[in-house]
Amino acid sequence: MQFDDQGRVNKSKKRAVFNQPEAKNRVELFRHLPQYEHGSQLTDLESKFLELDSMHPAVYKVGVQYLAGDVTGGNARCIAMLRAFQEVINDYSTPPGKTLVRDLTAKISSYVSFLIECRPLSMSMGNAIRFQKSRIAKLPLTLSETEAKAALCNDIDRFINEKIILADKVIVRHAATKVRDGDVLLTYGSSCVVEMILLYAHELGKQFRVVVVDSRPKHEGQALLRRLLAKGLSCTYTHINAVSYIMHEVTRVFLGASSVLSNGTTYSRVGTACVAMVAHAFRVPVLICCEAYKFHERVQLDSICSNELGDSNDIARVPGRPDVNSMDNRTNEKNLQFLNLMYDATPSEYVSMIITDYGMIPPTSVPVIVREYRREYLLI
Amino acid sequence: MPDTQVLVNDFLNKLKKRKIEGSQATARQTAELLRSVISQQRVPYTNQAGALIDAVKAVGEQLIAANPVELAVGNIVRRVLHIIREEDLSLTTAAIGGLNLSAVSDDENDDDRDGDSTLSAAAVAAAARSTLRPPSLQTLLEDTPVSAAVPQTSSSGGDSEGKTADKSSRSRKLKHDVIEAVNELIQDIVTCHEQIAEQAVEHIHQNEVILTLGSSRTVLEFLFAAKEKKRSFRVFVAEGAPRYQGHLLAKELVARGLQTTLITDSAVFAMISRVNMVIVGAHAVMANGGVIAPVGMNLVALAAQKHAVPFVVLAGSHKLCPLYPHNPEVLLNELRSPSELLDFGEFSDCMDFGSGSGSPLLHVVNPAFDYVPPKLVSLFITDTGGHNPSYMYRLIADYYSADDLVVQRRATAGN
Repeated sequence: MQFDDQGRVNKSKKRAVFNQPEAKNRVELFRHLPQYEHGSQLTDLESKFLELDSMHPAVYKVGVQYLAGDVTGGNARCIAMLRAFQEVINDYSTPPGKTLVRDLTAKISSYVSFLIECRPLSMSMGNAIRFQKSRIAKLPLTLSETEAKAALCNDIDRFINEKIILADKVIVRHAATKVRDGDVLLTYGSSCVVEMILLYAHELGKQFRVVVVDSRPKHEGQALLRRLLAKGLSCTYTHINAVSYIMHEVTRVFLGASSVLSNGTTYSRVGTACVAMVAHAFRVPVLICCEAYKFHERVQLDSICSNELGDSNDIARVPGRPDVNSMDNRTNEKNLQFLNLMYDATPSEYVSMIITDYGMIPPTSVPVIVREYRREYLLI
Repeated sequence: MPDTQVLVNDFLNKLKKRKIEGSQATARQTAELLRSVISQQRVPYTNQAGALIDAVKAVGEQLIAANPVELAVGNIVRRVLHIIREEDLSLTTAAIGGLNLSAVSDDENDDDRDGDSTLSAAAVAAAARSTLRPPSLQTLLEDTPVSAAVPQTSSSGGDSEGKTADKSSRSRKLKHDVIEAVNELIQDIVTCHEQIAEQAVEHIHQNEVILTLGSSRTVLEFLFAAKEKKRSFRVFVAEGAPRYQGHLLAKELVARGLQTTLITDSAVFAMISRVNMVIVGAHAVMANGGVIAPVGMNLVALAAQKHAVPFVVLAGSHKLCPLYPHNPEVLLNELRSPSELLDFGEFSDCMDFGSGSGSPLLHVVNPAFDYVPPKLVSLFITDTGGHNPSYMYRLIADYYSADDLVVQRRATAGN
């Protein structure tokens, strides 16, 4: 949706489930993206719990989890959403005078707009929703309601199983062949697939070291670091500024992705582009690990036309540094803006290889997969 | 001198404990300390320059060893040594000029002239053998310190009366000149910001978007000067973790009415496509044009090169170091405390030495500096004007002598 178009913004506000005050100091370049004051959103939504008769509690729960940041990561968010939709379908009964197909599709659409209000959709979620809607639309009319519901739930289960869980296993098998003894592997942030690869390679008995690169404001790498240390991998931890310093020792870079676009651009956590660029400058191979359901036919040249803006207070406030935090009361100052980007676009020339469940492909083959294997959705 | 020793020890302590922040403050205090060392140094009748040089080298060696990463200390020591040599040379040439004039005035008698000109030739040869000339094989093979050769040979020629009067006035004059020149040096260090800021209006146009990382006083003054001249521009400031100096810079810019946006360092690549120019400060500039800068600068420089955005480095001349960097990431870098990155409390259980080989599983790396190679820098703006990175080695000849690259006292007894 275009957030610089005032008419559309007003219309969507009328339909909104809960109140979201817009941020006061918006960066001009990002006027086309939504930015809200994050402080009051969660309490507002929680207070509306008893008023939402039209909202299924499972969907409400997922929305709150997104808003609070408890569920993060493309796969986790997608699975949470699909499970919530399974519950919705199980509890669904067609109201009199309406067809299952149209009514259910409308219900799903309204739930999706609620989830978008909580947090903008990731591309993996968008693909999953499209799959869902196409399955509903393809239901044969001869099925009874219970049979239709069972078929839909079955489809969701198969989607999660094939496209996410099994796909991850295949990716891990492929990627483990790229880890040799004596390697120093670098990863950025926290990607569940990369974590699985590292643990699997460690179980196979390969001797390697891991470098975990982290950045503000979320410090996602710390959680990954803790889990890797618990399993006995030897790790080095550093900040993204020091990536040029540490890149001398690194032999391979493994990165996760939120999505891979049709022009080969990788859309992932902000900072991935910096890491890939430095790795390219030092001639270190960069491997992106991404399931095929995250591929998208969109194209994007830079990180500005489409992105997600996070909480600007996260930038203003530095935990544990009171000398710097005197900035906090300045969030309302006219000349000062804080920019908290969530994603960035890594150009395809920095990526050596993409490991997917369809095999290990170069970035230029992504549109081929999008074109050839999308038909699979139609054939199920 | 007991006074200077106390001052020197005090300064050494401050350097070792990293109490002095910033190369400008370090440079100024080093220059002031060396000025007191020189003024309190008792110079012998002959070979004043040699004595001063040895005194400065003795102190300078200790200062450089106290904080080898703070290159400004070494720079100022070498500048002072160069000043001593220069002043000595100018005094010697003045003295020789006096001898030459007295020789030329007798032009009736050819023999006399020949004799006098031979004398002046000897004096000229003596001057040529002084430390000011680049080291020739002759000087390198001589065992005695070269600076000792100068006054002795020059005292062998010319009128002895005129010479003694000459020498005493020379000794007073040398120290006086050196101290004046060191005062000028201190003045240059203190006013380097203004000289650089004067060039701001040539480089910043209207509606420009500028990116910077961390905080540098030179950059601040530069941007203020452009704002004074009514150029309107916006600034993106990358916060420069883990010191977060970018927050302080943003505060100052906003106080002066500049549109500022604060971004994280990870967003630099995302934002740089919309930036017109990157302006940053440096910790030190090496002789090959490479830059030692706060950590994260290499990231910005690579991103700027990829998007063809000019990368401009502002540096005062006290930051120019005559050394060429070899493995600068390791040798010219300092690793800071891991607690700036990880909270010890949360990760203390991971730091135990429980694994088989006895070494901890977790290493935390927190370097303070970054090296930017010269090919990524578009322009250096110093107080003497704008320069290409490939030109920086020539500026060394203006400020430093070739003999001073290794600041070490020669271990000879003849003094």
